[in-house]
Amino acid sequence: MISRRRRWSITLVTAILGILVVAQLRSQAANPGLSNLTAQELTLVIANVSTRNESLRAEVAALERRVTSLTDAHDRGESALDELRSDLAALQAWAGLTPVVGPGVSIRVTGRISGDGVEDLLNELRNAGAEAIAVADVRVVPGTVVFGDPGGLSVENTSLTDGFEIRAIGSPQILTGTLTRAGGVIAQLAATYENTTITVTPLDTISIPATERSLVPGHGTPSL
Amino acid sequence: MTVIVDRIRALPSWQVTLTGALFVLGFLIAAQLAAEGPRIRYTSQERTTLTETALGLQQQQDALAARILELRASIVELEGEEPGSEAQVRELNAALEQARIAGGLVQLSGPGIVFRLEDAEHPGADRDSLVTARDIRTLVDELWLAGAEAISINGERLTTGTAVLDIGNAILANSAYLAPPYEVNAIGPDDLYERLSSAAPFVEFVQNRIEPYALRLSFAELDSVTVPAYAGTIRSRYARPDPSASPLP
Repeated sequence: MISRRRRWSITLVTAILGILVVAQLRSQAANPGLSNLTAQELTLVIANVSTRNESLRAEVAALERRVTSLTDAHDRGESALDELRSDLAALQAWAGLTPVVGPGVSIRVTGRISGDGVEDLLNELRNAGAEAIAVADVRVVPGTVVFGDPGGLSVENTSLTDGFEIRAIGSPQILTGTLTRAGGVIAQLAATYENTTITVTPLDTISIPATERSLVPGHGTPSL
Repeated sequence: MTVIVDRIRALPSWQVTLTGALFVLGFLIAAQLAAEGPRIRYTSQERTTLTETALGLQQQQDALAARILELRASIVELEGEEPGSEAQVRELNAALEQARIAGGLVQLSGPGIVFRLEDAEHPGADRDSLVTARDIRTLVDELWLAGAEAISINGERLTTGTAVLDIGNAILANSAYLAPPYEVNAIGPDDLYERLSSAAPFVEFVQNRIEPYALRLSFAELDSVTVPAYAGTIRSRYARPDPSASPLP
């Protein structure tokens, strides 16, 4: 028979143990990533996440307006066909299903470069807010990859010569500034590919064609 | 030896239990202190505030993304109830649905692969033993080339405008903060893995990047992989539909 005092001590130890186990598990579960960042990196995360939140808030507001106007039209028994059409046009343009026009930049690549190098350039264009991109007249959509070794590049079924053009729609100033800044992607590529020149020209009007890729899933089933 | 065993046997069972519990307790206290060691060294009031701000913003982001998906679902429903001419409405709605699927605004499920990419188990001072945005982009590009039709990184759907960037030891995709381990989900043909693993650039990636730096890459081929819908903005500020192109339905 265990004495009362001993029973209390066991109870106490197990209680402390329980609390500690929970504390340990919780401290490990709380955001593994953020605790490893320096103050400077955290500031960068905060800047990025707030910018994204702002654009998400704008999207929420726009979608709420759409819901209201559709509901109103519905209540009045009116047709909202025009709104549906403009929604469709915007969506198709964004997804790459239809051609688009707008201001942006033309990037001329002369000389040999690897597929990875071109992909770095495209990644930086997206980072700078490019809304539509074409490589040698091939619209870049999910699944479009520029691949191959220097001198043997291809995109979709088009092979690229040692001089080709990339066009992107977006703010000409921001796109040009981001690509050409000191230590930026073009400077890095120039260091790797010494005989290659990459020039950026801001333009008021750029046309980008629709994709020729089928974006209809053949293996996945949509959850509508 | 037998003497010790006999002495232990002679002990009342509660003493053995208590000893065991105290051992675990000691271990946990040590683990807790060890885990807090480096944090205490770097923690300043400012840093804690920054972490809290970042966490708060991320929570807001999750809530906003959920709200966007909810609103899109109501819009799809309202558009379906459109009272205009039936044939026209049906045609428009079908085109809208196709465009949403093409753009990645709809969740997809299907056969595919789930990859897990992690930093080396014991990363040295060398940053090469950490997974970079470039590594993720290489894996993603090779998956596209092998025939993948939809991809997500830690639940963030890759769309036409997705940039993948380094930030500290983590990455940003669609401007969302994603920390390792990275889970890359891809839907594609049944032979997606065969196609991927027989592609020279993927083999080079494994030989030159994964193996020498002990990065951890594992995968599972599954009958049903889920790639979530993109929950970000699709507003265009600069690009507009080309008026000279053929008219819409």
